[in-house]
Amino acid sequence: MKKDWLEPINSYVKIELRGDDIEGFINECLARGIAIWNIERTVEGSVSACLYTKNMKEVRPLMKQTRCKFRLLEKNGLPFWAVRMWKRNGLLLGLAGFFVVLFLLSNMVWNINVTGANPKTEYQLLKAAKELGIKKGKFIFLLPNVRQLQQQLTNAMDNVTWIGVSLNGTTYNFQVVEKEIPKRKETSSPKHLVAKKDAVIYDMFVEKGQPVVSPHQFVYKGSLLVSGYIGKEGKTKLVPAKGVVWGETWYTTSVTVPLKTEFQTFTGNMVTQHKINLFGLKIPIWGWKDEEYKTQEVSKNETPLKFWKWTLPISYIKKEIRETDGVHRVYTSSQAIQAGKAMARKEVRKLLSHDAKIKGEKILRQSVSNGKVNLSMHYQVIENIASEQPILIQQGD
Amino acid sequence: MAKWRQQVTKWLVEKLDLPADAMMDLPRITMIGQLHIYIENHRGVMAFSREELKLRLKQGHLVIKGQDFVIKTILPEEILLEGTIEGVYYDKST
Repeated sequence: MKKDWLEPINSYVKIELRGDDIEGFINECLARGIAIWNIERTVEGSVSACLYTKNMKEVRPLMKQTRCKFRLLEKNGLPFWAVRMWKRNGLLLGLAGFFVVLFLLSNMVWNINVTGANPKTEYQLLKAAKELGIKKGKFIFLLPNVRQLQQQLTNAMDNVTWIGVSLNGTTYNFQVVEKEIPKRKETSSPKHLVAKKDAVIYDMFVEKGQPVVSPHQFVYKGSLLVSGYIGKEGKTKLVPAKGVVWGETWYTTSVTVPLKTEFQTFTGNMVTQHKINLFGLKIPIWGWKDEEYKTQEVSKNETPLKFWKWTLPISYIKKEIRETDGVHRVYTSSQAIQAGKAMARKEVRKLLSHDAKIKGEKILRQSVSNGKVNLSMHYQVIENIASEQPILIQQGD
Repeated sequence: MAKWRQQVTKWLVEKLDLPADAMMDLPRITMIGQLHIYIENHRGVMAFSREELKLRLKQGHLVIKGQDFVIKTILPEEILLEGTIEGVYYDKST
């Protein structure tokens, strides 16, 4: 038996037929191949039957021929259903609204977890995160991605070694490894002060212990500066020597300064493009100006959108195109030497502790070759050269 | 002439074991309990009410009696009737 499976898709009507020769009408329909079904005699003697809407025009002359009259009872099928649904558009709107709300809520930050931090650090971290825009109720696709966040947060926090940022659904997890700053132990065990490096003693200030060197004396690395033995011979006592010994030390550094340099600077002109990536198809939603700068830098941030717990094949792309400007810097050789000196000084400063002083500088060697200035610098530095060395007391002495 | 032809067909069906419904245009009736009746090789509806369906056959009529009849599907040579079927009768008169 054949059944038209398109029945619910094609629109059909239920009609009521009245007349003397309804059987004749049915036979006429059969002869013309017009589908008719669910034929039922009602109690009053009329007949109800179903017909496709598309056949209604064909059926009318047949009705006239068999002297039947009809009345519409029901309209069925997808087109009629759609029309009926549209009349109840409040329901439709509610359904759409539900999905929109669910979609928006799936893309919001709902929770921020911090693990591995003490309350103080946690507070600081949450504050720093807030500055970057991570707050409850923010849209995830508008925030920088996890890697950027991790970098920015690690930079913003100075009492933290590392921050791991992960996004788990709608929850941000921050894993914090705090810096452990070791406390200086104030030991009272006896010790000497010895030289850290070769130097000429410049000045010294001894709090405890017996100084064994005097200013302007040359010392080698490891030589005794301040002894932990005090008191007269025979009545010596051991103390932890303490003091500051300023020594003149020497550093040489070499720097190379190119005479011509090219820099990349941002001009401030930029274009921001917002796009939606739909199954690999990029649809721009804001910023159609596809401005191509002569020199530019592009940063792209892509966030996949979520629905409930599924990641959609749709993602939000924020593209920033910044115009860059190439700046040429040309040094004369004397300018290059000046710049080289400053660079070398900076480099030396990096090696020194903050209480050290640079006493003098000298150019050992300078040469210009291949468009570069090579400088070899010598520095005289006054710094603390004392370092503690514990005195080992041998048992049974 | 027609009578002679019918005789020949009948003989063929009997001797050659051919399907009778196809050779002789007889109705093939399938019933599922009292619920459904499915008739092939009919020649149109003669009368239809809740209690009776009268179908034209090549020779004579087929009368189906019962209650609450609904023609679920009707095609040029097939019909599916639903309801409570009480009896199927042949009416030889043309």
